[in-house]
Amino acid sequence: MRSLLLGALAALALPVTGYAAEGTRVQVTGEIIDTWCYYSGVMGSPDAVVGSAHHTCALWCSAGGIPVGLLAEDGTVYTILKVDNDAEAAGGDTLLRLAAHTVEADGMLYERDGLNYLVVSDVVSDQDITNVNHNDYGNVPSFSIPDPNK
Amino acid sequence: MKHLIAILALAASPLAAQDFSEGSEARSWNLYAEVPAKFDAEVVDVLCTLTGDCPDDCGAGKRQLGLVRAADGVLVLPMKNSQPAFTGAAVELAPFCGQQVTVDGLMLDDPELGANNVYLVQTIQAAGADKIKANKWTKNWAKEHPEAKGKGPWFRRDPRIKEIIATEGYLGLGLEEDATFIAENF
Repeated sequence: MRSLLLGALAALALPVTGYAAEGTRVQVTGEIIDTWCYYSGVMGSPDAVVGSAHHTCALWCSAGGIPVGLLAEDGTVYTILKVDNDAEAAGGDTLLRLAAHTVEADGMLYERDGLNYLVVSDVVSDQDITNVNHNDYGNVPSFSIPDPNK
Repeated sequence: MKHLIAILALAASPLAAQDFSEGSEARSWNLYAEVPAKFDAEVVDVLCTLTGDCPDDCGAGKRQLGLVRAADGVLVLPMKNSQPAFTGAAVELAPFCGQQVTVDGLMLDDPELGANNVYLVQTIQAAGADKIKANKWTKNWAKEHPEAKGKGPWFRRDPRIKEIIATEGYLGLGLEEDATFIAENF
């Protein structure tokens, strides 16, 4: 009883600062997305802010240091923290070159406070852009392609 | 035992329902899932926090940084700084790596999409210091890219972005696909 009490009180002790968590090995296939546009809706619906329609904006956001995600086929979003040996997940070259590509990733999953964080140890396959949706949505946002007539 | 469970439930329940909007002066971005939120937190390197891989400088703005909220220990992911310019938050928070700060901004809350504890940071205040705006990204970029000086927003001039678009096109499907799309739509 005493140990239960102490354990319960320890669990409630706040604040709980950072800790190294246990990861789970996963293999995930999905599209490399710009998480801000996807979550916020600032540029349109979730279906419009992915794929070829959103490729240029995905480059802008990735180069700008916005977290890059992997949108899995089941709709789960994984926030990518590292790819191979490149931990530059805020504007780094590796993730920039994968913008809007569909990839198969092998890595470690860390779940924390409602988000899924992915440390990719291996991009098993890079299928380039497979979500060809610009004929449905145009280019999103509309200014992502400069008007050649101006 | 029943009393113990009741006490623990009472002690724990406020954490799940805490409102961080009190005192917030965050400007609205008219986002459908935005909630103003001002809170105290420690600036952490997310990769370090989760895996124990910890450089001294939290990655100097190149790694994604997090905010471990003092009130409840929740790891908040700041995705955006305050500039409407496709710019993230890591560069803004990097100078405060390992420090306690007070941040003000907008939380996005859309569990259906998976947007839990994600944040747009507008101001940062370290202990004993003035509150600053989280809007340094573009100035920082300009310092790092003097060769890209010119008119227009940074994302039109960024050498890496220009290089990819020059080879893969705006749609990412090649220059021929771009030409067809532009001819039909502009």
